[in-house]
Amino acid sequence: MSTATQSAVGRVTQVIGSTFDIEFPEGQLPAIYNAVTIRSQHKGVTINLTGEVQQHLGGGRVRAIALGSTEGMMRGMDVVNTGKPVTVPVGQATLGRVFNVLGETIDGRGPVNADEYRPIHRQAPAVNELTTSTEVFETGIKVVDLLTPFVRGGKAGLFGGAGLGKTVILTEMIARIASAHGGYSVFAGVGERTREGTDLWLEMQEAVIGDTGRKVIEQTCMVFGQMNEPPGSRLRVALSALTMAEYFRDSTGADTLLFVDNIFRFSQAGSEVSALLGRMPSAVGYQPTLATEMGALQERITSTKNGAITSVQAVYVPADDPTDPAPATAFSQLDAFIYLERSISEKGIYPAIDPLASNSRILDPQYVGERHYAIARRVQTTLQRYRELQDIIAILGVDELSEDDKTIVHRARRIERFMSQPFLVAEVFTGKKGEITSLADTIRSFEEICDGKWDHLREQAFMYVGAIEQAEAQDKKMSEKEKAK
Amino acid sequence: MANARALDKRRKSIRNIRKITRTMELIATARYKKAMDRAAAVTAYTDRLSQIVASLSEAGTEVQHPLLEKRENPKAARILVLASNRGLCGGFNASVLRTSMPVINELKASIGNVIVDASGKRGINGLKFRGVATDQKFLQFEDQPAYADVEKIAEGYLEKYITGEIDRLEVIYTKFVSTSRQVATVETLLPLGSLSDGDQTVKITGGPSKEYEFLPSAESIMEEVVPTSFKAKLFKCFLDAAVSEQVARMIAMKGATESAGDMIKQLSMTYNRARQSQITGEIMEIIGGVEALEG
Repeated sequence: MSTATQSAVGRVTQVIGSTFDIEFPEGQLPAIYNAVTIRSQHKGVTINLTGEVQQHLGGGRVRAIALGSTEGMMRGMDVVNTGKPVTVPVGQATLGRVFNVLGETIDGRGPVNADEYRPIHRQAPAVNELTTSTEVFETGIKVVDLLTPFVRGGKAGLFGGAGLGKTVILTEMIARIASAHGGYSVFAGVGERTREGTDLWLEMQEAVIGDTGRKVIEQTCMVFGQMNEPPGSRLRVALSALTMAEYFRDSTGADTLLFVDNIFRFSQAGSEVSALLGRMPSAVGYQPTLATEMGALQERITSTKNGAITSVQAVYVPADDPTDPAPATAFSQLDAFIYLERSISEKGIYPAIDPLASNSRILDPQYVGERHYAIARRVQTTLQRYRELQDIIAILGVDELSEDDKTIVHRARRIERFMSQPFLVAEVFTGKKGEITSLADTIRSFEEICDGKWDHLREQAFMYVGAIEQAEAQDKKMSEKEKAK
Repeated sequence: MANARALDKRRKSIRNIRKITRTMELIATARYKKAMDRAAAVTAYTDRLSQIVASLSEAGTEVQHPLLEKRENPKAARILVLASNRGLCGGFNASVLRTSMPVINELKASIGNVIVDASGKRGINGLKFRGVATDQKFLQFEDQPAYADVEKIAEGYLEKYITGEIDRLEVIYTKFVSTSRQVATVETLLPLGSLSDGDQTVKITGGPSKEYEFLPSAESIMEEVVPTSFKAKLFKCFLDAAVSEQVARMIAMKGATESAGDMIKQLSMTYNRARQSQITGEIMEIIGGVEALEG
């Protein structure tokens, strides 16, 4: 995409929010997506800004979005066309470091010594390079493994409204997967709280990978464009992180993990600049290019014959409405779809995963096996029936149900509670040790509950345990406590 | 958030349910009053009967009758469970069944030969679900049990008891204590422990003690009074169960009507909110479109 007009210099003609127009001499226009830089000092205010060309307006003018703050910008400032898109450092040197959208380090440890820089805009891998193998990726979280099994080299989305624990589940995934995983991890913080990013960074410096003695951070690089940054930065930071992950996939062939928190902010940033770029708003005020943008990003997060990128993405659902265009567009791109439900979190069950709305492409006997599939469906049928009965129960009471339905309600309430699980990252809050439950244990436990083997345990005993035997132990403990009273 | 139309549909269906439950509440109230009156009348009769028997014993007569004697080593027992034919009466049937299961199991363990009879479809089905087969099934009792029907049943039991086919008869029914309290109770009707009514011993206070002369003999009078007393007691159980059922239904339906009302309120709120946000969204889109076209 680079042009011969390396040294072309233009002038700022207009600044509109986080976009600005530049006039270049005729015939020296920068290409779309090229980076342009402004370095100037005016009345003591230093401006060091990078922008990205988005539109050619005609008459030698181009419109660019700022990847930083436009404060202090003035008309007439000199703008240099760099002749290439924004590039970020890639490779081993990036591990253990923290970057911003431009690939500059922000962890205060000096510049990075990278051998290679890559532009953040690239084509998605061609169809014939993609892998077709499908393999289950075990997480040790009961409800996820049973109902929404992850795909190795696939994409999983965590959908949920405000405050349902998306970030907690995402950090839990990092703690579980990254610490057991030998490959590289890339974390993209898109438009979320800076504090969460810092917490994660500090946590990763302590966490150890398996029993190798190496820290998780040594295998991880992090890219942040958090909510205090202008939309241009939030719009491109996912691409910067993805470019780093792509390098690991293509050049080292290692299994790479890509965590994105939160992909909705990417769409949101797009809609913030869309109107400024003069596009007509589409449904619910989003940019008309919503699906294109999301597609261009998501299609790059994929596994090729060289290596795999397994990605876990948090997706904010505005106003708990999953039909909102932004989450709906992200939804269609994913292999595993986890939906967090407010009514479940209100019951104090975490992770608040909705077992009926969540789904996975590979929850299919072909991939997970007949037994797993049958039990997952049985659990869902039971819960589905319970949900249908909920109105009747609310109006007439449990006593009016038929005996069979009573049994279903009885078991469904236990299953519902059994879906909670203590998290590794929440140990400080819950005071309970995190539980990693093997897939075999998970399947067996749910099967036995469905069969009615544990009907005699009290509901409360099913809260925050691993395998079913722990529920039994917890029930015993509760009985003893009651006796002591 | 569900769409406005789905919410409205749901609200309509709950409104219909509320209409039904309210009607049922009113019907149950009316029936309860009637059943209550009958029960009160019978209570007067049984009380008087007990009073007579009490007076008899007070008069110094040796009261002796095979129905009153406790048998050693009982070999066979019968259990009669009184439930209702119809549902939608809250925990009425559930609590009767909950009370009967331990009794049935206990008698099965101690006596062995236990046969269960049940009145009311709900009771029969509930017992069947719990793995208890019922022998005699009575479905004819609604809110006003007829004495003639009960008498037939009572005579059947008396005959079985006298011939030694059964040594014990337990009745499990819902005792009507007051409008706000009905208790599922187990009562041993055979052998008749005493002729007076268990907890409500009739006391005859003051007055001169009466002298009785039996004609033709004390035995022949006992022969008449004791079975009648048993029948009256059994009838009272049926009546109590019927009254309790109506009360339970009245209360359950009242609760249902109220919770349906609450639910409608909730749904209306969500519906209004959904509708409003839908309108807001549409207006925003139109305005946005217009502005984009102008700009």
